[in-house]
Amino acid sequence: MSQNRAPILKLGGTLIASVQEALMDADLLGLRDGLVADVKRYRATGVIIDVTILDVLDSFAARTIRNIAQMTRLIGARTVIVGIQPDVAFSMVQLGLTLEGIDTALDLEDGLALLDLELGNTRRD
Amino acid sequence: MTYQEKLLPEIEIKGEEVAQRKAFLQFGDADIAALESVNEVAQHYADSVIDDFYRHVMAFPDTKAFFSDPDVLAHVRRMQKAYFMRLTQGNYDQEYVANRVKIGVIHERIGLPVKSYFGMYCFYLRTVLQRLRQEYKDMPEQALTVFNSLIKLTFFDMGLAIDTYIESRERTIQGQQEAIRELSTPVLLLRPGLLLLPIIGLIDTQRARQLTEQLLRSVRTNRAKVVVIDVTGVPSVDTKVANHLVQAVEAARLMGATSIVTGIAPDIAQTMVKLGIDLMRITTVGDLQSGIEEAERLLGYTVVRNAKASGPCDKELP
Repeated sequence: MSQNRAPILKLGGTLIASVQEALMDADLLGLRDGLVADVKRYRATGVIIDVTILDVLDSFAARTIRNIAQMTRLIGARTVIVGIQPDVAFSMVQLGLTLEGIDTALDLEDGLALLDLELGNTRRD
Repeated sequence: MTYQEKLLPEIEIKGEEVAQRKAFLQFGDADIAALESVNEVAQHYADSVIDDFYRHVMAFPDTKAFFSDPDVLAHVRRMQKAYFMRLTQGNYDQEYVANRVKIGVIHERIGLPVKSYFGMYCFYLRTVLQRLRQEYKDMPEQALTVFNSLIKLTFFDMGLAIDTYIESRERTIQGQQEAIRELSTPVLLLRPGLLLLPIIGLIDTQRARQLTEQLLRSVRTNRAKVVVIDVTGVPSVDTKVANHLVQAVEAARLMGATSIVTGIAPDIAQTMVKLGIDLMRITTVGDLQSGIEEAERLLGYTVVRNAKASGPCDKELP
């Protein structure tokens, strides 16, 4: 089901999960499992989760996103969350869901740029 | 809708509230009956009371100023008589309340001070007491009963009138607060990707919310990567204000923008540490200049001074 609501696209070494409609808790877990499996399968180094269309991000979603970021890091990929809307950002901080330690970017374009920059730096190191 | 009705769009005293006020004043059927019983008598002395009233009012420059125009005076005398007679006509219902509120609004509009308003009521009561004692020479008890009820009704009226004064002031204050809020939350684009948010004045919850929302909208429209929040103009920071600041910074970060807070005054820094406010998660630098330099560094800008164009500079630039 998550494959429909949040299809995972592969672009070079980056996986892009583009959320298409409001996600149920089960969809989120499906997305998590799908991304972790795909990072392993494609040996991806970057993951972008695009939540532009979401008008709400609750604590379960925030926790799952955090888990995805931590899991993918363990298997070698950085995760960036992109497209959090102003209203969503505002209500998230009020609920204390600040996604601390997780990379964020304005939109897909900025997210890809951020990954390029960070992964480029990593390689140089 | 009449002109007066337009004046008071928000002042509305509900039936329940009216009943509560009457109950607190212990204004009941006996009082209504007592007041109605003197209606006829009141017609006798109404004109003389009002004559005395305006003689009194015109004897003081403060109140005289309001009635210097003879036409105005003639008009308010008529209104005054209607008001006066209404006191003894019974039916102290919603319509009565609306009428009293209207009178309060008119007096507030012309700027009649509350002290004069109270003084006028006091004069009324004293003068009427005098008349009642004359009318009920043989029944002093009856005069007192009526006067007792009249005091209740007058205080009921005064309560309504003063409420309109307060309501109107509050509305003015509210309007000004909104104006100040709108004026004082600009989000400025300094360079592509760099926003400046200078905060001036106290931050309360509502303003913090508005400020944050405006910041987030600007981050999106300007595709900002770095935001410099300058708090030089914030006179005091307590735990609440600090939390609002942290929320703004974290919300901006969720949208991919880094924030730099500048201009925390030394004494505010001391208070914050004493209060145990932890801003460790936020980048802070001393002043706005350093903040902008730090932001430019993050964005990869280098500012180079062109000596040819602007001449020598007595201060050595780094």
